[in-house]
Amino acid sequence: MNTDISLLDLRLRRRLLIGYTLGMALYTLVIVFLYPEFKNTTSLNQLTKHGSTAAALFGIAGSLTSPSGWLGANLYDNFLPLVMLLITVGYGASCLAGQDEDGTLCIVATLPIARRGILFEKVATLTVQAVVLAFVIMACTIVGRGFDLALPISHLAGISLGIALLGIDFGLLAILVGSRTGSRGVALGVTSAIAAASYLFSSLAPVVAWIRPARYASLFYWSVGNSQLTAGLTLGSAGVLALVGTALIGASIWAFNRLDLH
Amino acid sequence: MSAVISTECLTKYFGAHRGVDGLDFEVTRGETFGFLGPNGSGKSTTIRLLLGLYHPTAGHAKVFGQDPNRHAVAILGKIGYLPGELVLYPRLTGREHIDFVAHSRGMSDRTERDQLVERFGVIVDRPAHTLSKGNRQKIGIVLAFMHRPELLILDEPTSGLDPLMKDEFHRLVRETVSEGRTVFLSSHELDDVQRVVDRVAIIKEGELIVTGTVDDLRKAAPRTIEFRFPVNVDPEVFAAIEGVRVLDTDGRHIRLSLQGPVAPVLQAASELDPIDVVARPADLDEVFLAYYRDTSADESLPEKTREH
Repeated sequence: MNTDISLLDLRLRRRLLIGYTLGMALYTLVIVFLYPEFKNTTSLNQLTKHGSTAAALFGIAGSLTSPSGWLGANLYDNFLPLVMLLITVGYGASCLAGQDEDGTLCIVATLPIARRGILFEKVATLTVQAVVLAFVIMACTIVGRGFDLALPISHLAGISLGIALLGIDFGLLAILVGSRTGSRGVALGVTSAIAAASYLFSSLAPVVAWIRPARYASLFYWSVGNSQLTAGLTLGSAGVLALVGTALIGASIWAFNRLDLH
Repeated sequence: MSAVISTECLTKYFGAHRGVDGLDFEVTRGETFGFLGPNGSGKSTTIRLLLGLYHPTAGHAKVFGQDPNRHAVAILGKIGYLPGELVLYPRLTGREHIDFVAHSRGMSDRTERDQLVERFGVIVDRPAHTLSKGNRQKIGIVLAFMHRPELLILDEPTSGLDPLMKDEFHRLVRETVSEGRTVFLSSHELDDVQRVVDRVAIIKEGELIVTGTVDDLRKAAPRTIEFRFPVNVDPEVFAAIEGVRVLDTDGRHIRLSLQGPVAPVLQAASELDPIDVVARPADLDEVFLAYYRDTSADESLPEKTREH
């Protein structure tokens, strides 16, 4: 498989990716280093004691002072998915529709490479970005084992994979919308709106009864919203995320093959 | 001669807006085909259809006998393309662009690209966003020609080039065609077309209005003849001749537009003892403008060159 287009896009985005990853790594280490200061502050648990809707809005549920509660509330349930989506949705919207709008896609689109091949290379770039961020953060949380944040590595690996797949899926959704419409703005807008709704469905499901059935339609639920830090990422959850990603790739190939490029 | 490009009723609409409509033309192997028209006439749309970047609304195009949308990989491997608005990656240098395209095309021989870089004095070590339009265009020329494609599709290729580089580019096109390769050159720069093109098509508002050789178009176009007489003459003497139009006169000096044989005009003039005469063939820009004039094209140009 040709990797020139993937390598080119990674090169063009390296500063952004390094910046986001280093920033998140630094933030994660601060969270890890602060845990010993808060692990006995039981008053924090009042926030979630009675199924607080406000806490749920931030993706927080259960004890805040437990290792899984601390990492979930400060990192995995909200902030890390948000940054992940900033990277992947941003790339998904720009890698085809955005590059077509600014004219640079022409260089690639007139090479003797099938559109399917171009798309696969873009997906590879998307995957690398998501995996790098998720697993650098995982490495930082493993440091937490020296600061009383002793979570099983398999659970950390599972939720990291879940978050990477979450980012890839929403990035693919942005690619699909961009390929269908040819507009970076529409791809960003539609994908962000669906991601926000997906987040709300997953985070409010524990406290709002009528939303509960809808959580199964939320990719956040399958990624971080189903106790993945305490129970690990199940094969079923990973399968749902992978299946959605596969379907989105298929739909994107269909849409990109029909897109008029400039 | 085999057709490298052929279109049949090629049509592209963008919603209700017409891009091109019912294009029929052929480009044969080893010729330089000029595609003329002002901005917005449908030149770039046609090119994108030929490259498989656009999907036709109706009709079809064939490049090397294949559908550009279905066999893009095979076709694009044999094409060099220089877009009208070349956009480079702002932070990459010329060398990085050239390396990327060369590697993607599986090129290992650097001879041609190095020669082109030297020939056009391409600046390869500075980021593209720091380069002038002309220097970016030179990078585009290298990208289009370096793999020695069988077909070159060039959209406004000399845009931004200085006169010396334009000359060099025209030489490069002539060398390319002399090797049996084919050039499809879209432009509104008539100088480009006049200097290198064998056949030309003129497109107006998405429709082809004429195709033919440059010489045929010149012959078919009205010529201008100017006479100077020692005394005032009646312009009706000339206006009565078929194919003659009096463009202006001040009595002793008269300027005529002539389409058809020149003998009747010379006979009429000789009886008036002219003291000077100037006649010249139509420049391509006059031909072009005649086709584009809102009111006069249909009256002044012969049917034999028209396709629509």
